[in-house]
Amino acid sequence: MAVAVRTEGLSKDYGESRGLFDLGLEVSAGEVFGYLGPNGSGKTTTIRLLMDMIRPTRGRAEIFGVDCHADPVAVKRMVGYLPGETPQWGGLRGKDIVGYVAGLRGGVDPARVRSLTDRLDLDLGRRYREYSSGNKRKLGLVLAFMHPSRLLVLDEPTNGLDPLIQQEFYRLVEEAGAEGTTVFLSSHVLSEVERACQRVGILRRGRLVQVAGLDELHHLRYHSLEADFAGEVPAAAVRAVAGVEGVSVEDHHLSCTVHGGFGPLLQVLGREQVLNLVTHEPTLEDVFLAYFRDPAGPAPVPAEGAR
Amino acid sequence: MTTVTPAPGAVAPPASGPMRGSAGTLVRYGLRSHRWAFAGVAFLGFVSPYSAAASYVAATGTAALRASFGRQTVSLGPQLAYLVPLPIRPDTVAGYTWWKGLTWLTLVFAVWALAAATGLVRNEEERGLVETWVTQPLSRVRLLLSRSAAFSAAALAAVIITGLGTAAGLADGKASVGFAALAGQGAALLGVTLACFGIGLAAAQLASTRRSALTLGGAVMIVLYILDALARVNPGLGGVAAISPFHLADITTAVVPGGRFDGGATIALFAIAAVLIGLAALAFQRRDLMASLLRRRSAATPVVRTPSDNPLLRIPVLSSLWEQRIGMAGWVVGSILGAAFVVSIAHSTGKLLASASGFQSFVHAAGTDSAATAVVSSVWLGIAALILAAFAIAQTSRWAGDDAGGRLEMEIAQPVPRWRIVAERGLTLAVAAVIMAALGSLLTGAVAPSQGVHLDAGSLITASALLVLLALTFAALGALIIAAFPRVAVPLLAVVAVAGFYIPLFVPLFKWPGWVLDLSLFHLYGTPLTTGVFWTGLWVMVAIVVVGFGGAMAAMRVCEVGR
Repeated sequence: MAVAVRTEGLSKDYGESRGLFDLGLEVSAGEVFGYLGPNGSGKTTTIRLLMDMIRPTRGRAEIFGVDCHADPVAVKRMVGYLPGETPQWGGLRGKDIVGYVAGLRGGVDPARVRSLTDRLDLDLGRRYREYSSGNKRKLGLVLAFMHPSRLLVLDEPTNGLDPLIQQEFYRLVEEAGAEGTTVFLSSHVLSEVERACQRVGILRRGRLVQVAGLDELHHLRYHSLEADFAGEVPAAAVRAVAGVEGVSVEDHHLSCTVHGGFGPLLQVLGREQVLNLVTHEPTLEDVFLAYFRDPAGPAPVPAEGAR
Repeated sequence: MTTVTPAPGAVAPPASGPMRGSAGTLVRYGLRSHRWAFAGVAFLGFVSPYSAAASYVAATGTAALRASFGRQTVSLGPQLAYLVPLPIRPDTVAGYTWWKGLTWLTLVFAVWALAAATGLVRNEEERGLVETWVTQPLSRVRLLLSRSAAFSAAALAAVIITGLGTAAGLADGKASVGFAALAGQGAALLGVTLACFGIGLAAAQLASTRRSALTLGGAVMIVLYILDALARVNPGLGGVAAISPFHLADITTAVVPGGRFDGGATIALFAIAAVLIGLAALAFQRRDLMASLLRRRSAATPVVRTPSDNPLLRIPVLSSLWEQRIGMAGWVVGSILGAAFVVSIAHSTGKLLASASGFQSFVHAAGTDSAATAVVSSVWLGIAALILAAFAIAQTSRWAGDDAGGRLEMEIAQPVPRWRIVAERGLTLAVAAVIMAALGSLLTGAVAPSQGVHLDAGSLITASALLVLLALTFAALGALIIAAFPRVAVPLLAVVAVAGFYIPLFVPLFKWPGWVLDLSLFHLYGTPLTTGVFWTGLWVMVAIVVVGFGGAMAAMRVCEVGR
């Protein structure tokens, strides 16, 4: 399958360990790729490097085989772009902004714009400064989706959108994917990535720590377990089980987290009279937080899946 | 007991516990926000009276010369009464310094006050800063008053520096002026500045954008200024003109020998300021953020779902011109009005100049024997050059705003080469400058014969074309500075403009070497209407345009956007 986005050792060093370091990534054509990371992890830096807004300290990036720095105009012909921060268009009306950007780009079908504004419920007759933050974001989406593109680069696209419009946005992404458009979507909202993406890259402190399909990512999940015992809690035996962490005992109540399979733990529990047993599957959000809450973090899985 | 010694360089915790919020923080922020404009106004405040005094002393060496020069200036005064007050005792260094060096500063301070007032309300609201301020435990009234206090402090400092410039100039001219006179004159200047600040604050409550606030406040100030101007030529209007802060300020002439300080008028100025600031604070308390006090219910309009079909938006350069059409119209109208005014007084003023020996140097400096042509050449084309320089600086400010506001990022995200953005900016400015210079010169050429002023058509066209080149020169410097130091581009260009304005005055006055003249862009423009093209200047300007825009294109190609 053709490669839509390829980076090799892509780095942008802002000093003091800030920036992006040695990013090696491949996103296949037609794929919807989620790019996850907390604030300041390097998501927007990556996107700005792909869009040739900023220049790499080292390494290179390509979009559909075209070097992002050597031929940025050719790259941008293929790309629809939604910046993370909404540009300031002052007193211009929405229709003028769309007309102006369409004039810069060319090849924009007014019927496509009409369809997008209908679906996103955006009035282009109002002045930009009168738009709410959500409407400004909708206008950004119209500008990104209004022309045929092979790659959509969307930086935190649902910021400020209400849930109904978010659903419409996901449908737009699905349709784009179905038409063969590659989508590179950055976010710090895991549910969004879960909803829209096929594969996810997780970025932390400027380094890619994990690239995986959603199913693979789910394997990283842990379960929380709570059990009530008729007698004493076999705390020592439970603590001794491999993969069990965070054991907490209160009277006859046990709570812990379990990484990997339940078999060894169930063997231990089976020796006692268990009155109640509840497990919770954490959301992807919880997995994500487990990665980033603790400064040391769980041992990151090498990003071999990047290629 | 263990004593803990902080590591070297460690920041000690505040002794008084958590940081305390107060209106003082806003005053400090306000002072910081005024620093660039303050520097410019204070510079002009010092230089203008000082240079007026120095040039007077240099031009009038003897008592007889001073008397003669004074008589001629008095006879010239009515010609300029629509612009500045009538001269008083111009046969003295203090009288001339007041007339030439101080009176026009009233306008400079007034424009600064208007821009500051509308900016601190509307600009900061549009940037979301006011929303942050008002969510703090601080009343809106206190917020506005603390920002007003910051501006008042900055204005007071600028007035004091103006007083120092006046005192220094008069001292060099061996004229003495008392502290009370300086303080009285300064009080009048401060009063009119704060009154205009109040007008700006009030206008900002009634308008919903900074541009409309500037337009409304500017219109009110122009009406009040015209009222004052009419009262100068028709003293019978003095009663009506008393509502004009400019008139109330003009009454005080304390630094002029035999002049007076009008305490009542000065108090009235401060009262106007206090009332307007108070009303603005009350209005601010009542209105919605991002809205006018007089908010109209928006009329139901059909929802628009399609892009604009305006073909201009799809054509480079024309799209930028269309977007700026209202502001551009203002610049063009200003140019035409300036040309109309100067040409209308050229004949009568020329006659006066021709009959006054003291002004012969002015006529000769313009490179012509015709005093009326000298007026058009030096006064109108001088004003036009200043207008176009200001326009180029305003455009530079717009470019810097585009870069900072994310618009450049959106443009670069489209499939257009980066150099095209710089080229389009330059071409947009060039087209606008052509329109402004052409209309101003067309009017000049059309009206001049009816005033008995005969101008060579070819020279007028050349002079107009060179005005465009001058604007492009400023813009090229601006484009280059933006590439490296976007935040200081406008202040730096303003310095270039002000320095360029004063260098031709200072070089003969202070006997600076001749090459210093070539540092002035206005000197490079020359006097093409009367002496033909100053070729060295032309080539230097062309070189600046090529290097400036070329460098800006190269810088745009490598610059990082949105970091």
